[in-house]
Amino acid sequence: MAPGGLKAVVGDKILSGVIKSVKKDGEWKVLIVDHMSMRILSSCCKMSDILAEGVTIVEDINKRREPISSLEAIYLITPVEKSVRALIADFKDSTFTYKAAHIFFTDTCPDDLFAEIGKSRVAKVAKTLKEINVAFLPYESQVFSLDDPASLYSFYSSKTNEGRNKMIENLAEQIATLCDTLNEYPAVRYRKGPEENAKLADEVYQRLTAHKADNPKMGEGPDKARSQLLIVDRGFDPISPILHELTLQAMAYDLLDIKQDIYIYQTTGIGNAKEREVLLDEDDDLWVQLRHMHIADVTKKVTELLRTFCESKRMSTDNANIKDLSQMLKKMPQYQKELSMYSTHLHLAEACMKKFKTSLDNVCEVEQDLAMGANAEGEPLKDAMKSIVPVLLNNDIEAYDKIRIILLFIFHKKKGITEENLAKLIQHANIREDSKIITNMQKLGCNIIAGGCNAGKMLPDRKERTESTYQLSRWTPVIKDVMENAIEDKLDRKQWPFISDPAPINTTQTAVSSARFGHWHKNKSPTEYRSGPRLIIFVISGVSHSEMRSAYEVTRATEGKWEVLIGSSHILTPTSFLNDLNGLD
Amino acid sequence: MRDMLVRLKTINEEQEGSVTEHSKHEFDEHNGTLLRQAVIFESSSPLDVILKEAQTIRKEIALLCSEVTRLNANNERYATTVSCLSLLKKDSDAIARRIRHRGESVYAHLQALGNKSKQLEEEEGANSAVCRIAQTQYSTLTHAFQAAMNDYNKAEEKERKICRKRIQRQASILGKDISDEQLDELVDKGGEGWTELSQDFHPHGIGSCRMAMCDIKGRHKELVELEARLKEVHELFLQMATLVEEQGSVLNNIEVNVCRTAGYIEKFNDNVKRAIQYKKKNPFLQCCPCLPCWGIIIQQCNKQ
Repeated sequence: MAPGGLKAVVGDKILSGVIKSVKKDGEWKVLIVDHMSMRILSSCCKMSDILAEGVTIVEDINKRREPISSLEAIYLITPVEKSVRALIADFKDSTFTYKAAHIFFTDTCPDDLFAEIGKSRVAKVAKTLKEINVAFLPYESQVFSLDDPASLYSFYSSKTNEGRNKMIENLAEQIATLCDTLNEYPAVRYRKGPEENAKLADEVYQRLTAHKADNPKMGEGPDKARSQLLIVDRGFDPISPILHELTLQAMAYDLLDIKQDIYIYQTTGIGNAKEREVLLDEDDDLWVQLRHMHIADVTKKVTELLRTFCESKRMSTDNANIKDLSQMLKKMPQYQKELSMYSTHLHLAEACMKKFKTSLDNVCEVEQDLAMGANAEGEPLKDAMKSIVPVLLNNDIEAYDKIRIILLFIFHKKKGITEENLAKLIQHANIREDSKIITNMQKLGCNIIAGGCNAGKMLPDRKERTESTYQLSRWTPVIKDVMENAIEDKLDRKQWPFISDPAPINTTQTAVSSARFGHWHKNKSPTEYRSGPRLIIFVISGVSHSEMRSAYEVTRATEGKWEVLIGSSHILTPTSFLNDLNGLD
Repeated sequence: MRDMLVRLKTINEEQEGSVTEHSKHEFDEHNGTLLRQAVIFESSSPLDVILKEAQTIRKEIALLCSEVTRLNANNERYATTVSCLSLLKKDSDAIARRIRHRGESVYAHLQALGNKSKQLEEEEGANSAVCRIAQTQYSTLTHAFQAAMNDYNKAEEKERKICRKRIQRQASILGKDISDEQLDELVDKGGEGWTELSQDFHPHGIGSCRMAMCDIKGRHKELVELEARLKEVHELFLQMATLVEEQGSVLNNIEVNVCRTAGYIEKFNDNVKRAIQYKKKNPFLQCCPCLPCWGIIIQQCNKQ
């Protein structure tokens, strides 16, 4: 099943608008990208997609490239100085690197750079020049990223004060291209408190208005007036990014070493034992099914699915397990794709459980108690210090895990702890080198030291939830409460002010308006046109996997009426978050 | 999307107005390219060869896919009609045969492309554009081929299922219910299975039941042949799966592809230029061109 949502929309826009638009039968082209555009392209298209449309090779504009003068080139780049200079350099001397150029910018090219191109030889060989207005990564069908892992540093380090306004402008432009691509013109709201929230929200509103002038389709359609865009800072919920999560995606990215979304493991296939690299993305149907499931359910589910699969293909095997799969593969090689998928996820789940059982069983229980303020039976936590000390004194537990416990302890204390007590804890845990991480949390607006710079700032109250959960998964990210309230129009206007007054909501519909009726004549692909309103959430400086999962859960609960999108400058793992904090100052 | 080409051309033309005349004649206004001094070779470049070969394979895979579509259409008719079943079966046999031959041909071409790609890697280096193009085409076409063959497998599965259901339905009319496992066994036994099957039937009347018996005999034969058809293609599936496994699936990801490419080094030209310079600069060669070795020895003495 092809990926839907954001990925489908952006993939379609790029494939049709860029690659297919310059396709000529019988002629192949070279595609040239820079870092950001490559990430955008890679997250929604595969090599096979672009090869099917006449592109035969993809090159990095910033690397020295071999001239291929018999082929024309498609440049898909961001309008920044480095890329533009490289483009001009390709056509400088008497021998051109490529036969001609079709140029596509991800968003608006600044006038000075544009003039430079105009005055160079590129203008002679340019057959196309367009701005596509896609400056964000569609990471998943309901998750977007702006591909800036240094965002925490840019926003909260005291060393980056000067460039901050420019950075906020760029961020706002990127968010605006997201709304533009989705044809949304949402009401912009922000969490009252940190000044960067208000600044960013204001900037986004201005960019949105500018984009709407060029694209009047934004915000058009029944119910679209209810769409909202929420700007929230990371310090609003510092617990979700450091808690050990036991759903498959969050757990895998936290405990295993997964880089660039590639999972590597050892297995035997048709050939002998070797390393296999697998991309964990939405092209893998099983991943989409399993990624938000609790780990205890995952192995059960995969084994069940595998058994059903084997039965339907009349493969004789009583205990379908990891070792058996290579036998099955040799007997029925036409099911390689399916069997590989089962093998990957069995291995993934097993690897997660192995890591968990070595040291995290106890730790997770303590974490959940601290985060919830109560134990699994619902009794309030009496002596938090008593429960964390054994963990801190345990030498088998890694430093970062101890830091996570200490932070959760401090957040549990609500008013922070004294410097003395903090020093004692650090000493017990023996983590002096990394202790900066804890104090740097204050830069996010969190209350760490009692009576310190953030005294009086409280973490938000959370909803009472009565659904049954696993004992070690009682915590719900705060953003889920916000999502539900926003959809029900119960989000407090004082704590979450609007930038401009939202359009009045029509609670009584005078005419029956259907998403399908009246729009048949407009040439819209089903992926682009979504009739219901959208809630788009932008978290400054990183979003965690549990928060991403909340977006899907809340969407499902509305039974398709709303679509919740969430995104940030980058996707966090607990380790990367703590590393970022360490490097703040 | 905003089209900015006109604006670009305008800026360029405005600039042109202030540029001196002599640079203009270098441009061929009609297709905007510089006239280059180039030696045109009669034979096609390795790049052209690879791209042509890739295009051929692509066309063959497309033809394979259309045959699979034909098979599916045939299956639809088989499922819904009550007459001419053996004719339809003959058609699907013919289509399956064509698919197998084409599949084997595509596989052979893919192997050739793979070999050529390895050859290019040795000759031009793994990082050269033509080698990377060959590798990308090879891996993409392998996956496309696998997808086409998987569709074929699905079509065969469907036909088999329909046939089995038919047998089971007709057998129950004749008074004997056959379970899935029993049917598996009977098919495995081939022709002998039929004698076993027919023994258990109790035909009530003569006329209509004889028709039913004929029918079921025909279906049983078809099912056995279907299974045999799939066994013939098994080797091809195995070869293809091995190929896909060797290549891995990560190269289909654009980011991995781009990141694993190193920068282009103009090795040959640079080295030659440098060698010529050094040769020119060597004073001993200039004085005594027939005694280059003396020059080297004296140079080394000078160094010490």
